[in-house]
Amino acid sequence: MKTRSLITPILALVSFPAFLFGGMEAPKTTLESYTPWQDDTVKTFENILVQQDGRVKPINTVARFTLLQFLGKSKVWFQTERGESYRVDYAAWLLDVLFRPQIANQLPVFVVDDSEVVVQIGVSPKSKRDRYSYNELLKGRSKLAELGAEFEAKEKKYRDSEKDPQYELERVEGMILTLARNVSSYEYLIGQFGFARTGEAMVNEGMLPPEMVELSRRLNIVDMVDKMPEMTTAQLSQLIRQAPGESEDEKRFSAALRLFFFQASSAQGIHLFPPRDSDQEEWLSGGDLLFAGLASKKDREWTREQLGKIQALTQALKKGEEDFNTALHTFSDQQHAAAAALGEGTHSQLEIRLYRGQWFINALYCFVLAFLLMAFSWMTPGTKIGKLLTLGAAILALVGFALDVYGITLRCIIRQRPPITNLYDTVLFISAIAVLLGLFIEYATRMGVGLLVAVLSGVLGMFLSLKYEAKEASDTINQLQAVLDTNFWLATHVTVINIGYAAGLVAAVIGILYLSGRFVGLWMRRENPDFYRSLTRMNYGVICFCLFFSFAGTVLGGIWANYSWGRFWGWDPKENGALMICLWTLVILHGRKAGWIREIGLHVNAIMLAIFTTFSWWGVNNLGVGLHSYGFTEGVWGALYTSWAVMAVFMLMGIPIWLHDTKVRQEKKLKSHVGKEAHA
Amino acid sequence: MARNPIDWSPKNWLRLLYDFFSSFKLATAILIFITLVTLLGTLGQVDHGLHAAKEKYFHSFYFIERFGPVPMVLPGGLLLMILLFINMVVGAIIRVKKRWKGVGLLISHLGILMLLVGGFVTWAFSTDGFMALYPGMSSDRVESYRDWQLEIVPLTAEGKGEKAWIYPSRQFESLRPGEERTLDASELPFTVVVSDYSRNTHPIPISAPMASQVQAPEVNGYKLAVNTPSKEAEQNLPGCYLTIQPRKGGDPIRAILWAASYRFDPKEKSMPFTFTVDGQLYAALLSKKSWTVPFTVKLDRFDFSRHPGVMMARSYESLVTRSEDDHTDKQVEIKMNEPMRYAGFTFFQESFGPAGAQPGDDMFSQFAVANNPADQWPLYALIVVSFGLSLHFLLMLFQFIVRSRHKTPPTPFTP
Amino acid sequence: MFLFRITFSPHFSLSKRPLQDQDNSNRVFPSVVIAAAALGMVSCERASTILEERPLSESEKQFRIDVSDAQRFRESRGEHADDSHGTPGLSFTTPDGWTQKTGAAMRDLDFSFGPNGEGECYLARLPGAGGGLAANVNRWRKQMGVDPLTDEQIQALPTRSLFGQPARFIEAEGSFSPGMGSTETFAGYRLMGLILASDDGAVFVKMTGPGDLVEQNKAAFEQFISSLGVKMP
Repeated sequence: MKTRSLITPILALVSFPAFLFGGMEAPKTTLESYTPWQDDTVKTFENILVQQDGRVKPINTVARFTLLQFLGKSKVWFQTERGESYRVDYAAWLLDVLFRPQIANQLPVFVVDDSEVVVQIGVSPKSKRDRYSYNELLKGRSKLAELGAEFEAKEKKYRDSEKDPQYELERVEGMILTLARNVSSYEYLIGQFGFARTGEAMVNEGMLPPEMVELSRRLNIVDMVDKMPEMTTAQLSQLIRQAPGESEDEKRFSAALRLFFFQASSAQGIHLFPPRDSDQEEWLSGGDLLFAGLASKKDREWTREQLGKIQALTQALKKGEEDFNTALHTFSDQQHAAAAALGEGTHSQLEIRLYRGQWFINALYCFVLAFLLMAFSWMTPGTKIGKLLTLGAAILALVGFALDVYGITLRCIIRQRPPITNLYDTVLFISAIAVLLGLFIEYATRMGVGLLVAVLSGVLGMFLSLKYEAKEASDTINQLQAVLDTNFWLATHVTVINIGYAAGLVAAVIGILYLSGRFVGLWMRRENPDFYRSLTRMNYGVICFCLFFSFAGTVLGGIWANYSWGRFWGWDPKENGALMICLWTLVILHGRKAGWIREIGLHVNAIMLAIFTTFSWWGVNNLGVGLHSYGFTEGVWGALYTSWAVMAVFMLMGIPIWLHDTKVRQEKKLKSHVGKEAHA
Repeated sequence: MARNPIDWSPKNWLRLLYDFFSSFKLATAILIFITLVTLLGTLGQVDHGLHAAKEKYFHSFYFIERFGPVPMVLPGGLLLMILLFINMVVGAIIRVKKRWKGVGLLISHLGILMLLVGGFVTWAFSTDGFMALYPGMSSDRVESYRDWQLEIVPLTAEGKGEKAWIYPSRQFESLRPGEERTLDASELPFTVVVSDYSRNTHPIPISAPMASQVQAPEVNGYKLAVNTPSKEAEQNLPGCYLTIQPRKGGDPIRAILWAASYRFDPKEKSMPFTFTVDGQLYAALLSKKSWTVPFTVKLDRFDFSRHPGVMMARSYESLVTRSEDDHTDKQVEIKMNEPMRYAGFTFFQESFGPAGAQPGDDMFSQFAVANNPADQWPLYALIVVSFGLSLHFLLMLFQFIVRSRHKTPPTPFTP
Repeated sequence: MFLFRITFSPHFSLSKRPLQDQDNSNRVFPSVVIAAAALGMVSCERASTILEERPLSESEKQFRIDVSDAQRFRESRGEHADDSHGTPGLSFTTPDGWTQKTGAAMRDLDFSFGPNGEGECYLARLPGAGGGLAANVNRWRKQMGVDPLTDEQIQALPTRSLFGQPARFIEAEGSFSPGMGSTETFAGYRLMGLILASDDGAVFVKMTGPGDLVEQNKAAFEQFISSLGVKMP
């Protein structure tokens, strides 16, 4: 009977986010109605390949991170004028942007954190933090571009002047710059297939001079390539600057040239077309093809053939979604075949599975549920139900761990690298190691503490990974700088040092459990010295583990540095961070021998160790100096300071416990003294 | 139980000293201080740059740090390393009880000592510089990253020189504004007076709007303005005023020398200040300090590739031919993480240039050239320490598990 | 502690010296003696120096001796005048009263002048012949609203030296319509420009503005043209 009463609160807690959302209303749009894409179409679309940031990847990944960057979420939520609400996921949204821009322009995808931003560009604000569609921002478009350029220049000065504070962007200025960049990237996306939409109104028709509107609707840009003399992009750009002649023909020709230039320049950034020759590596965008065809007659046949594929897509869409899906399939198949010949795109399905599977979110759910089960088990200590709940928690923790590891493995396979190549990877990896350590401790001690450590680490780690991914909003499977291009060192130094980090953090979790447990125990006058003594032994072991791995990792890093930079040690901030972790474990171990620290000191210093660990893990990357500047993230300091303040509070709990212990010890001493005297 | 009073008598001093240097307390204190110094030295790089922070915190015996308004004298890295070395030798090697249980720790401490000694050898005896070559070029000369010197080169009328006379910068780098130093060498028919040497400068024409604000003498329409030294010591461009006074009398020749006249790109030629004394043409210039390696390196090929579509470098590697007077030539590949080690020198693929080169431009390859006798010691030390620690911790872990599992029923966790 | 430092540092600096220097160990003794002697003379700031000598490597034997101070001090580079504006490969001096602009595509250098910046001068380079000399001359003339020239007339145009090569000098007065989508025309404008067209590429320098203003800036234009050079890589 007791279990049933537990189910309701668990459900309540698990569905908590749903409650939160339920209270809010979907942003209204000007759309009369909305027809979602069929699942089949989205499935076909998401596997289309794109070369971006030096890597060929499924467009699914591009869609996901683009939407994260604009909106901070992976789904667009809105309601039509009729009041029907929709949640459109990233791939479907990108389909809208590329193929139904008139609809996409009405979707609220630009999140603005402060309404001051839209006020400054002359757009009427909604609430303080709100989402805007492209059409809503259109009114302030030119002002936004102007301010964006101004702040971009200011930001560049800031960087060039080694961070002269007078050039530092203010909060709102930074937001305007971000919005300006987002809107600009968005415009490239809606203009991407403009060249293939003959017979339709241009997306930004309002920007055209009136006499060009009619022409823009019927001009076939792709056909134009054939009719033009050979010229380079530079020559074309020079040509359209000249005043057109007097005759109608000349005027029309000039207008057509300008439209061609506009469409070709808009179709940049999405590199969909594998290179023709196998010795080429760079994929081409529609615009690249248009310019290439213009420049050389002998390329025209090929470019027209490629561009025709996009035209086929837009034509098929007019006939209906079935046809579109078929055309998309054909396009995708041809593209995959060409990519396979270049040895690329082989892992695109895995990559889609990586994001569609939501491994890390599911792992988070497991850990949260496991934590709840443990919490309930404490209410029924020693009973069968309690044991059952603990067992359930252990199983859930194992499942969470497995999901995390599975996600990491997928990432390894996709890029053919060891688990860690960037900061995001470290979060996933360190979580996995911390959970594993906790589970191992549980296996060795069966005290429930290891399990709790595992579950807490899992919750924190997975939560952090999601936060970080949304904040960075850029592909986390990125190409490596030349110096990192060595699987040997990535597998050794980087892995080992991160195991050290994980141990340092686990030590702090145990320290926090010890200190808060004893603090509450003091307060409630409940003590359990044996239990806490074994906690200390446990943490001692973890600290030794941390020393071993952080020391080995540090020296391995030095050896790597000696191979690639020519010196073993250069006092680089990241090196120093790792050194400080080693040193602090040594301080703890030697301080114990010196008699300076005992139980409480060990746990307090374990928390200190975690402060050094987080400083080394996140802090030094953000100092803005040094060779390891591969993970710069804004807004990290705020989070770090908060975490340190929280840890400091736990460390302070050591003081009353220490005073209490000292008193007890003196009393004991006195008693034994008295006892001895009495004996004598 | 009262503590035994300490015997402070002089004959016991040696004993006390031994106790002090071998104590765990000293070890802990040293470790705490090293942590603190490392932290300060890391944060200090933000304001002072790497080089300055290194000199202040790590290569020093003591330094003064202000915490708010309170200045504090703290031990520097060098002092701490020496103390740590003594403490480890006396405490962990000599005094420690030799038991089988402690053998892992003894081994790992020996490893750390190796690491410390290696660090000292590196610090004291290693040199590092760079060599930059375009494909087809060859050289045996290694340049310093940041040390400059004054050179006088006798030239032919076509601007060719065979040898350079060197005035090391230590002879004039301590000059304060307005001070001058006469460098009088019998090898040359003139004396050289250096004044207003400064670490980071730029000459400005007096016609420039800011020129009136620069408090410096004018020479040939230019003044030498002093800039705040850059945090990156390699970025500094020193400059100075130079007066050539012919021994036979005659008018002194004045000039401004500026480091940027030096060739930074190996394709360039240096642009010295030239003057004539007793009918001989001379060049005077500030040049990077340099030294030679006992072989010549010729760059045969430089392969540079970027990730497709972006500017980020994917890989770069060089194919060089190494030749010596009495040996046959040998072709070697140098790439990231795979240096060329030869005759005590190590060539690393460090960098490439020129800055801002576009795809298709000619590019040079830059090698870091280090000469470090203790080059491989950290690797050996790592192996020793890892072995020692593994031994020790595995032993402990075993004990821990055995003890935990065999104890009376474990106490479940309840907060 | 301080003592330590002193006794340490000479050793340090000696051993830090590069290998080649260490070979000259016979020099150490005299330099120590002289250094000791010099200690007494520090106040008068006159140091007798034993010079170190080094042979020059093959790659550094040749110096550039035909350079002015401006070149030695890398005037155009040292002041970051053009580097920051992204004009790779060109050196030039900005005439007084001219302001360099950025942003216009296809223009390597772009300046404005005059009270409201209505005067404009730009330099553009194009690969290939860029349409040929005649077409470009007449394009400019058309922009000024004047009649095109015949080929013979074009061949008779005066030349000026641009990058050391003869470029045709074009002058025209009239109503200026800049093109590029703009339908405005400016009456009383003047154009002054150079076109250097060859098969490898074309260079255009074009100054436009109100007649008086252009006339006033004629000298500045000449000065700008003559300051143009190709920067050594």
